[in-house]
Parts: sequence; C-alpha cells; structure tokens
Amino acid sequence: MGSYDLVDIEVSHESTDDLLASWDEGSDGDAHLLSVQAARLRAGRPDSELWSLKQLDENSVKMLEHQVDAAYRALFEMDGKALLADEVGLGKTIEVGMILKEMHFRETDDSVLVLTPAQLAKQWQAELREKFGLDFVCNYDDEFAGFDAHDYVIASIDTAKSERHRQTVLDRDWDVLVLDEAHYVKNEETDRYDLIDRLSYNYAFFLTATPIQNELTDLYNVVSLLRPGLFGTRDVFHHYFVNSNQETLVNRNELQERLSKVMIRNRREDTDIDFTDRTIDTRTFEPTPKERELYQAVTDYVKGAYSQDQGQKLVLMLLQKEVVSSPVALKQTIEKRLYEQSELGHTSELESILDLIEEVDTVTKQERLLEIVEEARNNVEMGRVIVFTQFRATQRQVLDRLASEGYTVHAFHGGHSSDEKEQIVEDFEEEGGILVSTDAMSEGRNLQFCNILVNLDLPWNPMRVEQRIGRVHRIGQKRDVFVFNMALKDTVEEYVLERLYHKIDLFQQSVGELSSILSRLEESGTSFEDEIFERLMNAGSEVDLENDFDAMAVDLREQRDLADKLEEFNSGVFEGFDLGASDD
Amino acid sequence: MTDASVPVTQSAVESFAERYLRSLGCTIEQRGDTWDVSVPEGADTQSLPDEFTVVCGTESDSPEENTELLHPESRLLHELLDEAVRRTPAGRINLTSESTEIELPEWLRGGDVEVRNAEFAPYYDRSALVVLFRVSIETVSEYQREFLRVVALDARSGESLEGLERNFLRITSFTDDSPSGGQPSLGRENVRGLVDEGQRQVVDRVQDLIDEVHEEASRAADAEVEEFRQMQQQRIRELEERHESLSSKLDESRATIDASEQVERVEALKQRKQIKGKLEELTTELSDLRRRRDQGFPERQKEIRQRHALDVKVSPLTATQVEYERGEVEIELAEEGVIQPLTVGYGIGVGVTDTVQCTVCGREITSQNPLVSIIGEVNCDECH
Repeated sequence: MGSYDLVDIEVSHESTDDLLASWDEGSDGDAHLLSVQAARLRAGRPDSELWSLKQLDENSVKMLEHQVDAAYRALFEMDGKALLADEVGLGKTIEVGMILKEMHFRETDDSVLVLTPAQLAKQWQAELREKFGLDFVCNYDDEFAGFDAHDYVIASIDTAKSERHRQTVLDRDWDVLVLDEAHYVKNEETDRYDLIDRLSYNYAFFLTATPIQNELTDLYNVVSLLRPGLFGTRDVFHHYFVNSNQETLVNRNELQERLSKVMIRNRREDTDIDFTDRTIDTRTFEPTPKERELYQAVTDYVKGAYSQDQGQKLVLMLLQKEVVSSPVALKQTIEKRLYEQSELGHTSELESILDLIEEVDTVTKQERLLEIVEEARNNVEMGRVIVFTQFRATQRQVLDRLASEGYTVHAFHGGHSSDEKEQIVEDFEEEGGILVSTDAMSEGRNLQFCNILVNLDLPWNPMRVEQRIGRVHRIGQKRDVFVFNMALKDTVEEYVLERLYHKIDLFQQSVGELSSILSRLEESGTSFEDEIFERLMNAGSEVDLENDFDAMAVDLREQRDLADKLEEFNSGVFEGFDLGASDD
Repeated sequence: MTDASVPVTQSAVESFAERYLRSLGCTIEQRGDTWDVSVPEGADTQSLPDEFTVVCGTESDSPEENTELLHPESRLLHELLDEAVRRTPAGRINLTSESTEIELPEWLRGGDVEVRNAEFAPYYDRSALVVLFRVSIETVSEYQREFLRVVALDARSGESLEGLERNFLRITSFTDDSPSGGQPSLGRENVRGLVDEGQRQVVDRVQDLIDEVHEEASRAADAEVEEFRQMQQQRIRELEERHESLSSKLDESRATIDASEQVERVEALKQRKQIKGKLEELTTELSDLRRRRDQGFPERQKEIRQRHALDVKVSPLTATQVEYERGEVEIELAEEGVIQPLTVGYGIGVGVTDTVQCTVCGREITSQNPLVSIIGEVNCDECH
C-alpha cells in the first residue's frame, strides 16, 4: 500500500540436527503420534468458549447472539483489542460486560479502567454490577480515593484527564481499558486523545456507534489509538483511502479488510432482534391569538436584531426556540438580557415582548399535553410517559401543572448528581407517572420500561430527536413505542417538523443513517441548526418562508445522492461488519 | 495451505493428557472429572511428581496441594505438550489399503456420472516424509504470528503429495483410530534433504502471509517514524519560541545597558552575557535539530525500522515416515445404463496420482473442470 518503506526481512531455517538425532534413535508409532498431536494442539487456538457465560444469571441479562459473537471475536480473534461499533441500541455495554466477565473468570483483569462520558459513569457501574456481578468503584462514589487506590475503576474521561488525576492514571499499567463513546477522542489535538494515547494497557475495548463522525480521518484516529500503525501514517492513509477531490472512498476492500482486524460492527437489520413498531403522531395545534402575537413579535425582533448584528446569532436562535417551548422559558432569557446584561439596543421591543408574555394566559401545548397524559393514565401500565423539553423553565412549569392536576411527576435534568439521576429513573420505574426531562437524559440511559414519549418541543438538531427516541425504543422494549410531537401551527416547529423531519424520514431513521446525512451537511460548513435559522431570517414573507422550507426539504431529498453517497461511503467502509466472519 | 493446528477443546485436552500419561506408564484412577495419577519410577518425564491429582476443567477455584487443573490454558497441559513434542518427534506410520478407504477424486463428485465400484490394486510400497513446520514471524509489533504447516514429500522423487498432507492431518487428529506405526527406516541424509526441501516449500506457501505481516510491520514502523518526526517538529517549534523570546530579552538588555548607570550597567552586561550564552546553546541545538529533520532523522529511522524488521523462522518439529502403497485404482463409472471403467494411478492416503484428460478437448479434468459425461467419450465440463 501507498508510499512507505518496507522494513527488512530475514528468513532463517532452524537446524534439523535435533530432529535427525531423534530419527536415529527411533521410536514406536504410538509415542510418535502423541508428539504429532502435541505439536498440533500446542499450535491450536485456546478453547473457543466463553466459559463465564454459564455463570450469568439469565434473569439479569439476556444475551443476544450478536453480542456473544462480538465478545468472542474481540477476545479471541482480535487479541483483546477491539473497536465495538454496533449501531445504537444493540447493546455494546452488554458486549463489554461479557468481555470483562470472561477476563475476570480467566484472571486476566488485575486492573481495569472504564472511561465514559461523565453522565454515563454511574450507569456503567450499575449495569456491570447488576448484570455481571462485577464491582467497580466510580469516581463519583464517596469511597473513591484516586486512580491508584482501586483496581476496578469507572471514571469520566474528563476526570481522568484532569490536572489532579492525570499523572496517577498514566503512572499505572492497566490490564484492561474500556473507552465508551470513543468518538470523543477522534480529534488528535485534544487532551482526551493525548490521555488515551499515553495510557499503558494490555487490552482495550473502544465503543462507539458512529466511528465516522465527519470524515474518514476520525476513524483513522480512533483505530490508531487501538492499533498503532494498522493504517500507517495519517498522510498515507488519507492518500490511499480517500479520493480527496471527490470525497469518495478508494481501495475500499483493503480498508475493510484492515478494519475487520480491529472493528466489529453489527447493524440492526443483521441481528435477530425483533424491534417493536414505532408510531409517530405529530399533533399541530392552533395557537391562541396571544401566543400567535407573541410568536410574531419575537420573530420580528430576532430578524431585526440579526440583520443588525449577526454576532448575536446564538442568543437570537435561543429566543426563537424558546418562544415555541413556553412563554416562561422565553421570559427568563429576555429578563436576563434586559436586566443582567444591560441590553442597550432594542430595550423597548424586549419590554413589549415581556408584556406580551404576561398576556398569554393559556399555554396551548401544556393544555394539550394533559390530554395525552390522561390518555396514557387510562391505557398504559402505571401511566408512564416521558416528556422531553429543551428548557428547564418549561420543565418546571410543566411539572407544576401536572402535579397540580394530581399526576405523579419526576424531574430529570443536568443539575442532578449521578446518584440522583439513578434514583429518579428508579422512582419513575417503580412509581410510574410522568417523567419530565431535559436532553440531559439523551445519551446512554435506558428507559425501555416506558413506551410513550412526548416531544413537547423539538430540538433543531435531528440527532437529539433520535437520541430521545432511542432511550425507549431499544432492546428490551416489549411494546410498540408511541412518539407524540407537539407543534404550534405556523411556527418554526411546524416547518421543521412537517417540511423537514418527515421528508427526511427522521422519525424512522436510525442514528447511524441520520448522522451520515448530517455530517454531510455539516461538512459543507453550516450546521443543520444554522441552516434552519438562516432560512428563517432571510425569508421575505410567510409564503416565502413556507416555500423556503419546502425547498430545503426538497433540496434534502433531491440531494439524496449526496446522502446516498455518504451512506454508500459508510456502508462501503463497514460492509461485511454484520455478524462477523465465521470461525473458518 | 492447510493449517495443521487443532482447536484446543476440553475433550481434545483430556484425550491427549490421558493417552500421554498412560504412554509414560502412569496409572490413572478416574472419579468423574478427577483423576488420581501415579507415575512409575523411572518414567520418561521431567515435569511430573510421583503422585498427583488432576481436576478436569476450571471449576475448582482453589485447587488443593498436589492437584493440577487440566483445561486448555492450564499449566499442566502446556508442560505435557512441550514434553510430548520433544519426546518422540520422529517416527513412522503405515497406511494400507485394508485400513484406509479409497478416496475418490474431487472431479468425479457431481454430474450425472455414478461411481459403481472402485478397486485398488497395489503394485509396490513407497515411502513419504511428512514434516510439521512451525513458522514464526517475529517483529516488535503485535503483528507477529506463529503457525503450523504440514508438508508431505515422496521420499524417492521428492514429489509433493498434497493428498497425503490432508490425510495425515485427518489420521493424526483426535477422532480417528490410530494408524499402525514402527521404526523409521529412511536414511538420515535422505531425510535431511527432504526436510530442507520441505522448508523451502513451506516458505513459498506462506509467502502471502509473510507479505501481509511485512506490510503491517512496515506501516507500523512508518507510523512510529512519523510520530517521532512530529515530536521533533514540536520540539523545534518550542525551541524557536524560546529562541525568539531570548532574542527579545537580548535586545532589551542592550537597551538597558545603554541607559544604565555604571553599577547597573555591569549587572546588565553580566545578564546579557548569560542570555547570549543560552541563546548560542539554543541556536546550536536548533540548527542541529533542523539539520537532522532536513535529513529525515536517518539514524532514528534506521533504528525504528530495524526494530520492526521481520525475522521469519521455519522450524521442523516432527518428521514422520509414511509407508504407503502405490498402484492403480479401477473405477467403474455408469451413466444412463452405459458403464465405463477408468483406471488411474493411485496411492493409499495420497489419492489419484495421474492426471486425466478429456478425450474430446484434451483439457485436464480437475475439480474446477469436472468429469460430466462418459457416454461415448470421457467429457469434461468445459466442452460438454
């Protein structure tokens, strides 16, 4: 491959003298047959069995064929260094659990470090304990006394790389390293990457559903951490596998062959998992006149302010999102701008928006939410419903409203400690009722005991939408899943929902497929959110706006070849990573 | 080329261990998964105590004293294997038509032609040498590999006998009855020549695997060289920054000297001297580093590439003289009522030794171009 120098090679033939001496001594046939068999056994692979599986409690963990296969291959065919890259929801944590259990059984796990995003550390700890009987100390536990004080540690990667702990982590020779959400280390210029690069370990298992976030180099970086040199240098890799002019993949077969030495990727369609159905019910409501007036005022303000100062984009985008979430969310941000940040321009406009907020006495979405939860209370086990919103202020108001109507409610947001989050999910499972959550819930936490989800407001980033749905629509979900999207008529949500999300089949996409489309868009320089915002700002009239979003949807569909190209690119890279090679 | 290793299953492990211990003269009393083993005095073993207990499997968490676990990764197994390989690496086995079934060629399987009967007529005995070779490819990176390969050569002609290689692996696996054996009788020099030839053949046959590891190791070396180059580049940048900062300090010190009174001036001159010294050191280090960079760090490159270099070792582990009968096999073929005898050269355990041509087109009949008809002519697939 490519332009690199071959290292020297020397072939030597061992002397035959010993063998000839034995030849002269002679022997009986049986003893010789045993020598031949011994030579053949000694060269054979160790027993291809996961011995520890028998010890697992079937009630605690249901192992699926593709998971057992992945654990086996990672351990025995990849020599304990593997990138587990199943699509979302196929149980990568279970695969790692099996691997760690097996290593524990074989006593090859004197010290294990599991690095995860902060919000997932406690969940990892709970799963490994409950499903596999493996006890780990988490860096959020009171008993955690540093990385040199325990042999089985689960920690957030950011804690491990912090000034305080970094050296202790690096000073130790770990037997096993597990890195969850390994795409977090795709950038070689970050401290996270540097930490993993310098860590000393014998075995490593990296997990990610999206090995390619934006470009093939991401994959290079992650794989090179695991198997330095597998792809050679970055330049050689890039020149050899990517046709940079057309951004297409070249030498696909070789890339695939190389990847198959280190990566396992199961796709939903290839597994024997029977996913339940997903029903999407988008409900668009007529806003009250006051809500409509408020929406218009905010939109006018945002447009005006943006035309004068594009530097304020983020906060203006926030206002535009909040106005469809709840007036109370909007109110908080505007007051902050007016009173805390001494907003100089537009004061009167902002004040008049505040007045309009005060005038809204009926919050349509919240009223209509009651209908959904009431329906659930009558028809669903323990009336469990998860309501997602992007904003804490909206969350608080919804919680108050639901509580005042006599519903059992639970709040989940990023301000809780990990222990609290565990407890909240547990309470929700046991007590039922309604869990109102922000997107702090999005990654990793599993709520398959609930099958009704409400998107009270919709993120402008479609990945977030799928992450929300992925919390309930995953392995272990025994019932059909119902997703309710709530939108106000003639607002950005309606456009985003109706014109875009449905046309790109967002609600039926898996995260893997979606991310490829989005990466494609983002590669062109603007994010999906930016794209939406720009269109909102630049449309001349309502008709223009509608047409514009229609055009964006059509554009997305018509440019399907771009997405297809990327899909082809991904499946080209990952083709053959179905259930892995046979044992031949 | 066929891999000669066998899967290390628990049953294979137990079967081997039991037979090996008995071959040493040990008595074994079996109580389920527990064996009480007594080793006779003077037994040909270095590694076993006089009496010990074997527990099959991995269930026992804390084995008692004088108890050995027996499973695919146990210490006992590995000791027994090492000892057994060394104990009798040379020997002989006999293949006869009574003990070995006639193996029909691949090119006869399929099509409408039916095999009614096959009879072997032995003409003479022949000897072959079958050698198990360990091929190890060593390099510093994790790409190093080791595998076991088999080569069978006719002792007289040196002809390669692939059919015998397959059969040898079959009869020395753990499922078949043991073949009869005896003392090897081939001459030492004959054996040496055959082993040497086998070594050459085995390297040829694993060349693709060697090439693969060679490329992987070369890429690993290249990546390490690149990493080193980047580190040095980073170092150069750091030195450049320090150089720049010292140069500015030097400029500042000049200004201080110009503007100072006598006492301060002396102090400032001292400081300037120090800075100048450091700057010169830095300049030397920097230019040295730049020069080495421009040359591509040849020494370091050489050192890295040497470390990643491949050392391929081919070691003969066992050599087996295989006595087999050679002659002809008469195969009675039938198709739609037509019966056609076919006589071809054959060796027991070796298979068909002749090539057969299509009587129509003259092409060789092979598993890829099988016999498909015997009506009128012996017809191959290509021309039928």
